[in-house]
Amino acid sequence: MRRLLSTLLLAATVALGAAAAKAEDAPANIRFGDVGFGFGTPFGVGLQAIADAKGFIAGEFKGTPTKVEFTYFTGTGPAINEALSNGQLDFASYGAVPNIIGKANGLDTVIVASYGGTTIFGAARPDLEIKSIADLKGKKVAIQKATIIHWGLVTALKNAGLSEKDITIVDLKNADQLAAIAAKSVDAVFGADFLLPLEDKGVAKIFYKSSDAGASGDGFGAFLVTDKFRKAYPEATQKVVTGFVKAAQWLADDKNRDEAFKIWSRAGSPIEVISKSNAGSLLGQKYNPHLDDFFTSRYQSGIAFDREQKLIRRDVDLDAWVDRSYVDNAVKSLNLQALWPDRSATGALQN
Amino acid sequence: MATIGAEEDIRVVRSAPDLHLARLKSFFVSAVLICIMPAVLLAFWWAASTKGWVSAQVLPQPDWVLQTFLDLCANGDILAAAAVSFRRIAEGFLIGASLGFLFGLLIGKSKTADSYLGPTFRALAAVPSLGWLPILILLLGIEESLKIVILAKACFVPMAIIAAEGARNVPKGLTEVADVLRLRASTRFFKLTIPAMAPFIASGVRLSLSQAFVSLIVVEMLAGTDGLGYMMVWGRTLFQLDIVIVGMTVVGVVGFALDFVLKRAELLIRRGSGANG
Repeated sequence: MRRLLSTLLLAATVALGAAAAKAEDAPANIRFGDVGFGFGTPFGVGLQAIADAKGFIAGEFKGTPTKVEFTYFTGTGPAINEALSNGQLDFASYGAVPNIIGKANGLDTVIVASYGGTTIFGAARPDLEIKSIADLKGKKVAIQKATIIHWGLVTALKNAGLSEKDITIVDLKNADQLAAIAAKSVDAVFGADFLLPLEDKGVAKIFYKSSDAGASGDGFGAFLVTDKFRKAYPEATQKVVTGFVKAAQWLADDKNRDEAFKIWSRAGSPIEVISKSNAGSLLGQKYNPHLDDFFTSRYQSGIAFDREQKLIRRDVDLDAWVDRSYVDNAVKSLNLQALWPDRSATGALQN
Repeated sequence: MATIGAEEDIRVVRSAPDLHLARLKSFFVSAVLICIMPAVLLAFWWAASTKGWVSAQVLPQPDWVLQTFLDLCANGDILAAAAVSFRRIAEGFLIGASLGFLFGLLIGKSKTADSYLGPTFRALAAVPSLGWLPILILLLGIEESLKIVILAKACFVPMAIIAAEGARNVPKGLTEVADVLRLRASTRFFKLTIPAMAPFIASGVRLSLSQAFVSLIVVEMLAGTDGLGYMMVWGRTLFQLDIVIVGMTVVGVVGFALDFVLKRAELLIRRGSGANG
């Protein structure tokens, strides 16, 4: 009897040990978080949404028991910070301002790729003479504070020789912004492409598009992994980043442009709006996953902004936060160096 | 015999302070009862955050939250936020509750008014303040008036319903006496209707104030840039959930204190009107 018991125990130990060793190589599932829009089943509008819809990340794990799971948070940045903190996510892609806030408050994230740029729009009441950023002086502008849009507005003001003291900022959520400008209780709004339909409805006219101001006016953000996941599954982390880079490579091919717009339209914006928002910009350049000097200078500006606005109490050490090895490996193994040459801090191409 | 006399003596002497003591005792017991649940919650919270059951960013330790509370008190943020919130409640309540009282009186007194206005009122009252928000923003913009109107609506509904109830419940006998005496309308209103409705008005005040308090936080969270509700939203945006917990605690404690005081007042009014009747 005793021998039987000990044999059973031994068998159980071996089985458990084997299971543990197996789990080391391949996680049972990998959970991804992204900012989402739309009713019912929200969906994303960036690189990660493409990687999800076209199965680029899932493809890297073909033939293994690992499952990938994507969640799109309509609660945007703050909700993703909470989910990361609760251990509900392994990877997340979201805007720089909230992920700097998360990092400064002690989240153990590591940046493994850039998610590229997002276009920021400014819309003004049609009955006002607002044709450029400089005309905003003394006006009331609605934005959602502590987002990359907030950074975009303050940076645009600075570039036009104004400061945020020259305008009145009203902190409103997206839906309330639309109502507020329609009711003429604010003079202008800043936001993503959800503002574009306002022009067709005659409620507002678009007077500012960040991509016209050069690459350094666009919003930015990153694809992050938790340090815990990265340490436990370095190989899986590399596979995920490779899948992410493959999505960027697919997007860079001009013949996929329409299909990409169709995928993003699952988040609720009509295809026409998305194609208008991306008019004149090459998706390969916009969704560049590289963590080069340009990316670093963007993030430094984001950290400085968060400090200036008192959104964070502690500084963030960018060098320790960014791990370039995964994206560099992926670019090298896929032979994509020519597609994304290194950019200098100002966005100019190097070498 | 002598011993019994002595005992009686003692009992007589102690009877007056006994009543006092009993009252103190019951007050003490109820205070302890009130504190049990918060104490259990606090202990659970403390254990959960120090043992690392939940992430420290999402549920900060109680002492951090206390520190944040003291910081917010010291720099005046919390007082400024509370002042803004309470001014809004006061304005919304004055407008909403007085209009609600008049409207309740109207549909309570006049069957015609009730048949014309009652159903519409009840249908509109069923729509929560949140549902009104987009339309109200379109009509009023995002200024102060939006918040006041939503708070006034929150006060109006319970006050109107209870005032109508009260107006219908003026004792029939007294109404008949007033008819026989041919009292003037104003005398009748102040000497009969108002005293008879007093207990109803008291509960109307209590209900509408507590409704206003709940709506206030919602409205400040959705379309505000100041006040206690906004402070909580901002704390969440900054991933400083200690600020959110401070806000929740302040709102909870103030809400409880408000309800407690008003309940007492309501009791006193009920007793007073009972003695008159």
